[in-house]
Amino acid sequence: MSKPWSHIWNKSAVYASFLVFTVVVLLPIYWMVRSSVAPAADLIKVPLVYVPTPTLRNFETLVEQVPFFRYVFNSLTFALATTLATLFVSYLAAYAFARIQFPGSGIIMWALVLSMALPEVGTIVPLYRILSSLHLLDTIAGLTLVLSSTLAPFTVWVLVSFIKQVPYEIEEAAIIDGASLPQILGRILVPVTMPGLVTMGLINFINAWNNLLYPLSFTTSPSSKTLSVSITEVFAGYSPWGRPWELIMAVGVTMTVPVVILVLLSQKAIVRGLTGGALK
Amino acid sequence: MHQAYAQGDAYAKSRPSLSALSKATRRRYVLFILLVAPAFLLRLTTAAYPILQTIFLSFTNLNLLKNTDDFVGLQNYPAVASDYGVQAALSFTILLVVGSTVLDLVVGMLVALLLNATFRGTGFARTINLIPWAIPTIVAGYAFRWLLDDQFGLIPYWVNLISGGRLVIFISPVLAKVTVILVHVWKDAPFMAFVFLAGLQGVPLDLYEAAKVDGANAWHRFWRITLPLIMPLAITMGLFRLVWSLGSFDLVYGLTQGGPGVATSVLALQVFREGIMFFKFGFASAISVLLLLVVAIVGIIGLWLFRRAEVAY
Repeated sequence: MSKPWSHIWNKSAVYASFLVFTVVVLLPIYWMVRSSVAPAADLIKVPLVYVPTPTLRNFETLVEQVPFFRYVFNSLTFALATTLATLFVSYLAAYAFARIQFPGSGIIMWALVLSMALPEVGTIVPLYRILSSLHLLDTIAGLTLVLSSTLAPFTVWVLVSFIKQVPYEIEEAAIIDGASLPQILGRILVPVTMPGLVTMGLINFINAWNNLLYPLSFTTSPSSKTLSVSITEVFAGYSPWGRPWELIMAVGVTMTVPVVILVLLSQKAIVRGLTGGALK
Repeated sequence: MHQAYAQGDAYAKSRPSLSALSKATRRRYVLFILLVAPAFLLRLTTAAYPILQTIFLSFTNLNLLKNTDDFVGLQNYPAVASDYGVQAALSFTILLVVGSTVLDLVVGMLVALLLNATFRGTGFARTINLIPWAIPTIVAGYAFRWLLDDQFGLIPYWVNLISGGRLVIFISPVLAKVTVILVHVWKDAPFMAFVFLAGLQGVPLDLYEAAKVDGANAWHRFWRITLPLIMPLAITMGLFRLVWSLGSFDLVYGLTQGGPGVATSVLALQVFREGIMFFKFGFASAISVLLLLVVAIVGIIGLWLFRRAEVAY
C-alpha cells in the first residue's frame, strides 16, 4: 500500500472525491432497485417518490406474464455450462502451450489468442446458418458452443501464464513416479493453479450471464431464451402509461443481484488471480 | 492418453520419417495436438470458418425475406458505402470507441489513485468499484435510460428543480452521443481502475521515498514515477478495450437503440439489424467486412503506438 498520495492530498479533497465517486457509481443502481420494488403508479408521480413502500408485486407480474423461472433457469444453465466448457478446453490447451514447446508452437498459440480480436457480430450470420444446419438454433447447447469458443482465447492466454509459474520439477518428479497426464493435471497442476481457474471461471460466468448478442440472435422460444433476451422483450412491451419501467427494472435487478453478489464475495480471488497472472 | 501414445508408436513404425524423431519427441507432438485440438477445432469451426464465410457472403445478395441468393461481386460495397445508417454508424463507432477509451484511461487512473489513498471508506470504495463492471451491459443501458427519462427520470428532474429547464436527452443527437460515451465510461472505467490499482500497489515505495529526499513534489512524483511505471499496463488495457468495444452494441441497444434516428448507431448494431432482424445476409456481411477492416486498422495503429510507448518508457 503506498502512502505518499494520502499525505499530499488534502483530506477533504479525498473525501469529496470519495463522495462523488460513490454517488456516481450507486445512483443508477439505487434508481433501478427503487423502481423495481415500487408500485407501478409511484413511477409516474411528480414530485418523484424517492423511497416507495417496497412491494414484490412487479416480480409477481413478471412470473404471471412471462415464463420467468424458465428464463432464470436458462440463464443459469447457459452461464454454468459455458464456464465449465471454456475452462476445460482452455486448460488443456494452456497446459500444452506452457509445457510443450517446439518451433512453431508459439505461432499456434498466438493465432489462437489473437483470434479474440475478431468482432463477434462479424460472424453472426454464418453462425446462424451453421447452428441452423446442426439443429442447434434455439438450444442452450448451441449458445454454449459459440460462447465457449468466444471466451476460450482470453482464458487460454491467462491460464498459460499461471501454468508457466508452476515449477516444472514438481511434474517431472510425478512423471518419474509413473503418474499419468490426467493425474498430473488433476492432482498437481489444477490445485496449484486454482486462483487462476477461479478468476477465469468468475469472469467467464459473468460474461455468459451478461451475454446478449448470441441469445438475441439464436433463440426464438422460451426453451432457450435467457434473461438478457427477456429484458429486451419486456422493454419492447407497452402499457397504457408508456413503457413498463417497473417490470424492466425488476428483470434488471434479477440479472444484477447474482453477479454483484458473486463479485463482492470473490473480490479478493479476482485481485489475486489477475495480479498473479497475465497482468502481472 | 496412454492408448493414444501406443497408437502413435504403432503408426510410426510404418513411417520412417517420423520414427527418425526420438520416441519422446513424437509423444510430445501427439500430446500437444491432443491437448490443443478441442480449443483449436472450436475456434476453427465457430470463428475462422464463419469469418471466411462472412467475406464470401458479402459478395452475394443472400436475403431470406426476398429469397435471393446470387453472386453479385462487389455490388454490396458501394451500397454499404452510400448507406446513410452505415455512414452514421461508422463515424459514431470511431468517436465512441476512441473517446470512451481515452476517458476510461483517464477516469480509471483518477479512480485508482482515489482507491489507493488511505481514508475511512477505502474498503467500501474498492468494493462498489466492481459493481459497474459486473452489471450486465444491457441492464446498465436500460437503467440509465430510465434514470435519464425526460418525464420521470431522476437526473432531468433534478436539472428541472435547479434550472427550471427541461432536459430531453434522447431526441438530441449531440446529447444522446455524449450520454452513450459517458455511460460507457461509467461501465468500463471501474475495471481499468481495478487493474491500475493493482499496478499502483506494485510500485516500490522506496522510489517515492528517494524522490522525496531529492525534493520532488507530488505532481512530479506522479508524472515521473507512477505514470511511467503504469504506462505499459495502461496501453495494454487501452488496446484490449479499443478492440473489444468496436464489436459490441449492447449498451447502445439498451440506451438509445441507435437513436435518435441513427445518430448513436454503431457498426455492430447495423450488422445485427440488417442481418438478424431483416435477414439481409449479404448486405449485413458487407458491413461486417467493413467492421473487420476498422478493427484491423485500429488494432495496427494501437500496436504501433504500443511499440513506440515501449521504446519511450
